[in-house]
Amino acid sequence: MVTTKWQQEVSEPTDTKIPGAEVLLRCLVAEQVQHIFGYPGGAIMPVYDALYHYAGQLTHLLVRHEQGAIHAAQGYARASGKTGVVFATSGPGATNLVTGLADAMIDSTPLVCITGQVFAHLLGTDAFQETDVINTTLPVTKWNVQVTEAKDIAPAVAKAFFIAGSGRPGPVLIDITKNAQNELIHVPVYEPCTSVRTYKPTPPLPTNHIAKAADLINQSQRPYLLAGQGVLLAGASEELKIFSEKTGIPVACTLLGLGSFPTDHPNYVGYLGMHGNYGPNVNTNQCDVLIAIGMRFDDRVTGNVNKYAQQAKVVHIDIDKAEINKIVRTDVAIHADARQALPVLTRLCSKKDHPQWIDSFRRLNEQEFEKVVAKEIADTGTLRMAEVVRLLAELTQGEAIIVTDVGQHQMVTSRYYRFKHPRTSITSGGAGTMGFALPAAIGAKVACPQEPVIAVIGDGGYQMTLQELGTIMQYNIAVKILVLNNNFLGMVRQWQQLFHGKRYSFTEMHNPDFCKIAEAYNIAAAKVTTQHALRPALETMLASTQPFFLEVVVEREENVFPMVPAGAGVAEVILEIPMEETHNT
Amino acid sequence: MKEDYTLEIIADNNFSILNRIVNVLNRRRVRIKKLVAHELEDDYRRGGALLLLYTTPELIEKVRLQLEKLIEVESAVYCRGGAEYFDARASGSPVLALGDRRVLEF
Repeated sequence: MVTTKWQQEVSEPTDTKIPGAEVLLRCLVAEQVQHIFGYPGGAIMPVYDALYHYAGQLTHLLVRHEQGAIHAAQGYARASGKTGVVFATSGPGATNLVTGLADAMIDSTPLVCITGQVFAHLLGTDAFQETDVINTTLPVTKWNVQVTEAKDIAPAVAKAFFIAGSGRPGPVLIDITKNAQNELIHVPVYEPCTSVRTYKPTPPLPTNHIAKAADLINQSQRPYLLAGQGVLLAGASEELKIFSEKTGIPVACTLLGLGSFPTDHPNYVGYLGMHGNYGPNVNTNQCDVLIAIGMRFDDRVTGNVNKYAQQAKVVHIDIDKAEINKIVRTDVAIHADARQALPVLTRLCSKKDHPQWIDSFRRLNEQEFEKVVAKEIADTGTLRMAEVVRLLAELTQGEAIIVTDVGQHQMVTSRYYRFKHPRTSITSGGAGTMGFALPAAIGAKVACPQEPVIAVIGDGGYQMTLQELGTIMQYNIAVKILVLNNNFLGMVRQWQQLFHGKRYSFTEMHNPDFCKIAEAYNIAAAKVTTQHALRPALETMLASTQPFFLEVVVEREENVFPMVPAGAGVAEVILEIPMEETHNT
Repeated sequence: MKEDYTLEIIADNNFSILNRIVNVLNRRRVRIKKLVAHELEDDYRRGGALLLLYTTPELIEKVRLQLEKLIEVESAVYCRGGAEYFDARASGSPVLALGDRRVLEF
């Protein structure tokens, strides 16, 4: 922790008394917090009253719903690597954070959420806007704590930032009763937390296990590396690149690992998972050593785990010990931070090349091109999601921060956008939270104002947090909103087509005029319905220095392939609707 | 093959920690046959929980790791065995500090 002017001030005890609410703000300043996403209410009014005087030190963004606040904080954290901060009031304010907490928990996003709470003497009495926030958020927080006295605010904040940002990051919640916010105390000494007795976020480097892994890799003929978000969180992208280049090992990325390895690198073989590229899925069951770094073998990656990489020796590097052997049996476990482990592993591994092995990925991906890509970008007269994202990648040179929502557009973007840099792909992975993208894009743009930030969203997810257009308008946040509108909940519809006899049960959307809504929020808007209009519309959107909304009407019943059907193994990935399904539909 | 395990947890005695522990077990559908929770006699800020669980060898190890991941948890150890261990331990006998304790090393 760098000592700042504010930290020095807050660290100097004086005879002056200040309310607990101001103690909180001073702690945030000491932690070098710059932005807060929040929404006021009765039980957190003392904090907002104190905030009135901190405009020069803390920038608060008033969102339109607490879910918007927490997703914005997630986008901020994911784009910047800093801890996102959220304010909300008690009761419904706090419970509106739950979806974002669950999302941040499963996607390892560092957040510190501050909720107001009723007076301590009212706890447990069913007071107005009283909810048991601690127990409500218990399964979806890395740690939470309720503070009922002002003297406990500073230690709680210090501990919260340490826990949120260390080890495997995650969301932390501090619930502060109103009396603690009001209570006057002497300015406390703020001591940043650097350790917690029962919490060991940085394990010692298991050099003997790394040596065993190096032996396996050196003997391997077909080694294969899976890069997850742990690589990004550890800041180990460069170390990963050096390792891959020395060992010649092909690299595939998980959904959250996109950006950890440049997609234009010759050793990059594609994106993994249920709707990932063909080669990376099929060759999972061909490799002899599988090296998984900072990933947790999510079921969307493994498919049927009983058919997953049974032939391979598995090396798993992860900072979270509980992830090792949780889903996939591990032959060599390296419980470590990827940034520490990879250089040691690189030193112990021999320089090698695997040109034939990497070619096998290329050949498989060529099959994908013939059966999937060629159709998706064909000049058919109707717009398809793939050509929109391909053109977006071309026009931005893969240099934008892309925030996606959940569904077909998310899978298409993950396959077609050419991510080159860490922290440029932001999406809801584990939780699959529709409504994530618009507020998360706000947070990403606040964190990285000089970078182009583009939210790619489906028409369903867009309408879940549409109200955050108000936040964009109020603060003139120059995000680009690209809605791929097929007037369906597309992914659910696809499953209904493939596995439920084309019974489209409540997936068709009758949508409003999205452009008029954007214009009502004073956001420039355009709509594209034809292929020839796409390029100029995207160019106009990208050239704008203001917020911009672009609706692209895409084919209604487009399906996303490749696809690993539910219950199938990764090698059973399909490239088109099987013949019998075609007859059924 | 499910069998009885006695699990002993030492943790900081924070508000809600017992809920967090039980939540880990509930999420993995581990059957809790008995549970005793207590403050440590020499330090009220720390507490212990002793649980008699019915589960598989694989799952008991997985939940142990998930329990140790909880911020407040200092240690989680288990041994194979049922009521006799649990009752002896619950009555203060040091039976659990035995060679059958299983803490797998990676």
